[in-house]
Amino acid sequence: MRLAWKITMLAMPTLAALVTISTLRAQQPAPPTQNEELDVGQLFATTCGWCHSDGGRAAGKGPQLMDTKRDDEFIRNRIKHGKEGAMPAFGVVFSDAQIDEIIKYIRALKPHQG
Amino acid sequence: MKKQWRYSCLPVLVIGALLTASSAFAQSVDTARIEAAGQNDWLTYHGSYKSYHYSPLAQINASNINNLSVAWIHIPGRSTRGLQSMPLAADGVLYYTGSYSRTFALNGATGEVIWSYFPELDEALIARQTHSPYNRGVAIGEGKVYVGTMDGRLIALDMKTGKVMWDTKLLDSQKLTVGFTGAPLYAKGTVVIGAQGGEWPGRGPIFGVDAATGKKKWEFLTVAGTEDAMKTWGNDSWRTGGGGGWMPGTYDSENNTVLWGTANPAPLYDWSGADYKTQGARPGDNLYTTSVIALDIDTGKLKTYHQELPHDAWDFDSAVGEFVMLDRDGQKYIVHPNKSGYIFVYDRNLGVKNVWRITQNSNFVKDIDPKTGELIGRRDFSAGKVSEPLCPHISGGVSWNSGSYNPKTGLYYKLGQEWCMTLEVQKTTPIVAPQAQLNIGADFKIAPPPGGEIYGHLDARDPITGAKKWEVRFPEPPLGSVLSTGGNLVFVPDSRGTVHAYDADSGAELWSHGDGTGHQGGIISYAANGKQYIAVVAGFGGMASDDYAPTFGGVYKSMPRDDGALVVYSLK
Repeated sequence: MRLAWKITMLAMPTLAALVTISTLRAQQPAPPTQNEELDVGQLFATTCGWCHSDGGRAAGKGPQLMDTKRDDEFIRNRIKHGKEGAMPAFGVVFSDAQIDEIIKYIRALKPHQG
Repeated sequence: MKKQWRYSCLPVLVIGALLTASSAFAQSVDTARIEAAGQNDWLTYHGSYKSYHYSPLAQINASNINNLSVAWIHIPGRSTRGLQSMPLAADGVLYYTGSYSRTFALNGATGEVIWSYFPELDEALIARQTHSPYNRGVAIGEGKVYVGTMDGRLIALDMKTGKVMWDTKLLDSQKLTVGFTGAPLYAKGTVVIGAQGGEWPGRGPIFGVDAATGKKKWEFLTVAGTEDAMKTWGNDSWRTGGGGGWMPGTYDSENNTVLWGTANPAPLYDWSGADYKTQGARPGDNLYTTSVIALDIDTGKLKTYHQELPHDAWDFDSAVGEFVMLDRDGQKYIVHPNKSGYIFVYDRNLGVKNVWRITQNSNFVKDIDPKTGELIGRRDFSAGKVSEPLCPHISGGVSWNSGSYNPKTGLYYKLGQEWCMTLEVQKTTPIVAPQAQLNIGADFKIAPPPGGEIYGHLDARDPITGAKKWEVRFPEPPLGSVLSTGGNLVFVPDSRGTVHAYDADSGAELWSHGDGTGHQGGIISYAANGKQYIAVVAGFGGMASDDYAPTFGGVYKSMPRDDGALVVYSLK
């Protein structure tokens, strides 16, 4: 239930922002609203998990993220700008604060129990 | 009078040129010519409207195949995610695309570049896309070459010069993220192209465009495209339903109909449990996703359809797969593979005549009724970890690439893929702003079939009954298309980078050659100046092949994912 509530709250301001900003900038995607809480676990099941298998715990099309040796700056840069032919750029989709949440999720990844 | 004189002399000049050089541009390509499928050409993605992926050329055959070697190579450059396209050939000229919709016309005998066209694309948009920047080919007709782009355009190029004739924006890719990666289809003055889609929260349009002017003639929405279909999407889920038609279908001239396969709904995995009609992310059957549809080519109106997997909860869509048009014992059939590995046999009105399966490992349903096409014992997941691995894997029981039907042997040569996946279904919310994002609905990981290893196989089967005559196994599933020829040969470009040729009757391997990198695209045969050629694209990388390095290691670890070449073979 908590999960659903968080996402609902997230979607509403984003949509509202989109309506306003997209009118102003016809071809420019609207920047995300800052300080929005992001359920990163759900984000992986929505978007990231196609390449970062098992919620980021295993290598797939993209690398395993659990226990990554990459530093925060590298990860932040990769999320923002992507890598040609390998990873989309999410810099216009997620704010810096949201990207920090994604990095926190990656750092906290543990193997599934059992 | 002057004009008349000029025209009457023109054929003489053209014939002279044909005799002295490549037979380029000898005739126009039109619907009748594609329908007739002349033996020297490959005029549409699936070879001809019959979709056989078969060449009647027999100059290369079992008796001389040991003399088959590389005639020439073309490097398109910037082959991000490899090469995935199906070359076309007309009058000795070969047309093909690389990543970023780079389009080439090449002398089929020498590989000399006649013209090239690199569209200026919205690179910032493409950097935000997941399933790009590969391109799977062109259509030709009415003196033009038609190519789609990842930023939502369909472009017509003059077949002789590569000059842009028209450039039509069809999709708002800034909003929807998706564009066009699939080849268009030309028929009867119309160019048909379907949008990417599936896991993206859109409505998956297919467009009909006037070949002469580039003006949009019609648009069919594969998600809730009719009032009846709208009722199959509970809770307004049609707004983010997915769909699309990312691979080209074909044209049935007898019915004036375009046949097209549609993509899956979004999210890929639903948490509805068994009551999918009323529960979950998208309650209902979700028409017209994971369906084969028949559209009037002039109006785009739906004439009939069959939904291969109602409420597809496994990403086994119908966009993959050729429409093999067969006549047998006075009956007309269409054979269409579904991504699940089930092969559907229809009459020309898409009535189910049979269903058979090419894969060994399949458990998303217990079976599909061969008489009705009804799913039996379907697995509809609830949120949480799925106890038994799902088979096949998300990359499918068959690839989006095509098999080949050989009318001489009466056999259908098709690749099957044996792999599974573990998954944990999770509830998600579609992300539509500021730009649409994938909506998967699960975390998952590739897994071997229960009690076995991952593998692939080339089957030679009766296309109607599915009866198997022979099988060749591969340690990793080949992802490319299959070609059969009048020389009694079957060609398979495999994932490791080797092209194999087999005896069409027995499956005995007769020849192989390394192309230096994996295959995941087209292979054709054509003739130029009276000589037969085999053309295959090599270049690995993309949504299925990117799993190979972490899964199989070996040669895939060092295989580039941003390189590729068109390799053309002929007899020494």
